[in-house]
Amino acid sequence: MARVYNWQLGREMSYWYPESRASKQFAAVFDINKCIACQTCTLACKTTWTSGKGQEYMLWNNVESKPYGFYPLAWDLKLLEMLDGQKWNEGGEKPVYEGSTIFESAPAGERVMGWRPEDEDYAYPNVGEDDCAGGVDGGANIFETHDMAWFYYLARICNHCTYPGCLASCPRGSIYKRPEDGIVLVDQGRCRGYQECVRGCPYKKVFFNMMTGTSEKCIACYPKMEQGIQPQCFVNCIGKIRMAGFINPPDKANPENPIDYLVHVKKVALPLFPQFGLEPNVYYIPPIHVPTSFTKQMFGPGVDAAVKTYREAAANKDDDLTGLLGLFGSSEMLMERWKRVGDKIIGLDAAGKQIVDVPLKEPVVERPAFDKLYQITRTNCP
Amino acid sequence: MKSTLLIALIAVMIGAGPACRRAIVSTPDVQVVSGQTITLDANASVWNPVPVHLSKQIQQDLVEPRLMEASTQEVQIQAISDGNLIAFRIEWLDDTQDDLPGPARFMDGVAVQLPAKIDPNVPAPQMGETGKSVEISYWRADWQAVVDGRADDITSIYPNAKPDHYPFNAKPLENNPDAQAQAAQRYSPARALGNGREGPRTEPVEDLIAEGPGTLAPGPNAFSKGKGVRTRTGWAVVITRPLPAGFSKESPSQIAFAVWQGSHDETGARKMRSGWVNLLMK
Repeated sequence: MARVYNWQLGREMSYWYPESRASKQFAAVFDINKCIACQTCTLACKTTWTSGKGQEYMLWNNVESKPYGFYPLAWDLKLLEMLDGQKWNEGGEKPVYEGSTIFESAPAGERVMGWRPEDEDYAYPNVGEDDCAGGVDGGANIFETHDMAWFYYLARICNHCTYPGCLASCPRGSIYKRPEDGIVLVDQGRCRGYQECVRGCPYKKVFFNMMTGTSEKCIACYPKMEQGIQPQCFVNCIGKIRMAGFINPPDKANPENPIDYLVHVKKVALPLFPQFGLEPNVYYIPPIHVPTSFTKQMFGPGVDAAVKTYREAAANKDDDLTGLLGLFGSSEMLMERWKRVGDKIIGLDAAGKQIVDVPLKEPVVERPAFDKLYQITRTNCP
Repeated sequence: MKSTLLIALIAVMIGAGPACRRAIVSTPDVQVVSGQTITLDANASVWNPVPVHLSKQIQQDLVEPRLMEASTQEVQIQAISDGNLIAFRIEWLDDTQDDLPGPARFMDGVAVQLPAKIDPNVPAPQMGETGKSVEISYWRADWQAVVDGRADDITSIYPNAKPDHYPFNAKPLENNPDAQAQAAQRYSPARALGNGREGPRTEPVEDLIAEGPGTLAPGPNAFSKGKGVRTRTGWAVVITRPLPAGFSKESPSQIAFAVWQGSHDETGARKMRSGWVNLLMK
């Protein structure tokens, strides 16, 4: 194994291949606080990419209700149980992960530590996860305060990791990371369906297609990305929780890049299970209503600070941060740059050309039910 | 009464299929009996007098992922030739028939490996090496099931599945098979690229070449044929292919075997393999 630097761990780690960062790295920020689990993202992906035979069970994008929802079943819990320690040293200038990654924990004979979901593990996508599962007997109620009166929605796609577990697991080199944008793809001409990638991806975002006999995964809608357009699950998001773009390593962070600004400058967006060691590139603004004792395991030691910054952004008149969050979902085009000019937040393409502008604060327009001009009650129109 | 029972028991043992057909005396080499009529039938009488080589299998433990727990200990090998083709009858013990693909499900299979060139300086037995390639004929149980008639449909794997709609079944395409096939390929990129891991096929065997672990690629010729059947104790598979170039009584070759048990999560590099064994024309 080679030694590579993983900035999310604050240290070097072992990886199957030497460090080779893409010239640009696909990345995204999801604001969990805005997600309503409408599954429009899931359907947008499903109808675009996985409507074929053998893809029936596949959800390259899914939304699950945490802490009890999973797709596939217990995808995170199973690996967390296998992964010892997971301790962070937070005493220094920046946190350093002192536990082992899935690469460093690989048992004898394996490339990574992993497991394979079986048929029944895919049988419970988020259908009524947060509904009552059965009838409630007459008079039944809860007398005491519910200790865990929270849940949240976790939207997930492939993380297009800097150090992908799937790529490291494939003994044939059938998985590759595009040098131009860091998107991770399975070569459908080369894959022989060993399912080692399914086993090796801790996020379980590679799926075996039993009708083609190959493994398939999220492709970050690369045909759209190549044209400067955000992926399907981003542009169809009703809650406007997502922004796609590119991320730089922290030492090359550019505050004019919206992803860099949220991840590196404001540090409000955090990786999913950084302790796995893959340097995943979908970053989450953690749910602010959830005890950080829980979210810290999921998003790393930056959770407390991220929640504080996000919570206090409006009160602190942090117009840059609140304004940038308003840029989410404002255009289908990739906004590789951004700036604030007074009360306007402007999204720009890589060449600096303006794509869209949004107001810092949406104006409030009051429309009375009775329209005096036309002398009609609007709710009574034909 | 007791003697009747004993005779009946012996009769059952005699008729219990090839695995119990006779006490096996293993030859140290794989001896190819020439002048025979080639058949894909593992139960044909042509195999009865053919010497058996018991190939001892070891775990693939050279490259990750390795097979950490042994399964198939040995494989029975017989070989015949008609002067043009060579046929191998391969039989091994396997309690379960694994031919339904799916998540975390793996297929039974067997492969025959020959050096691409007859040369005293043989390639490494583990899939060959750079500049010294090997030819592999690979049979898989799920491919056999498809050739034997299993439909190319999700319900042939999941009988209770109820797919609501596929785009290629849309109304405007229903009288246009070409347009349907084209639409279906959009959602099956592996098939569009000709990577026939699953789907319609006419042979349960695939021809491959390799120059070391991880280099397996389709061979230039699709000349291997085969047929596998379940025995009472496992599988009996016949694989045929042209005689290796230059192979004769005076010019022997080498041969190696690999076997996969799906129920043991064996796939790809996770397999039981042999080293090289002499392949001799008799």
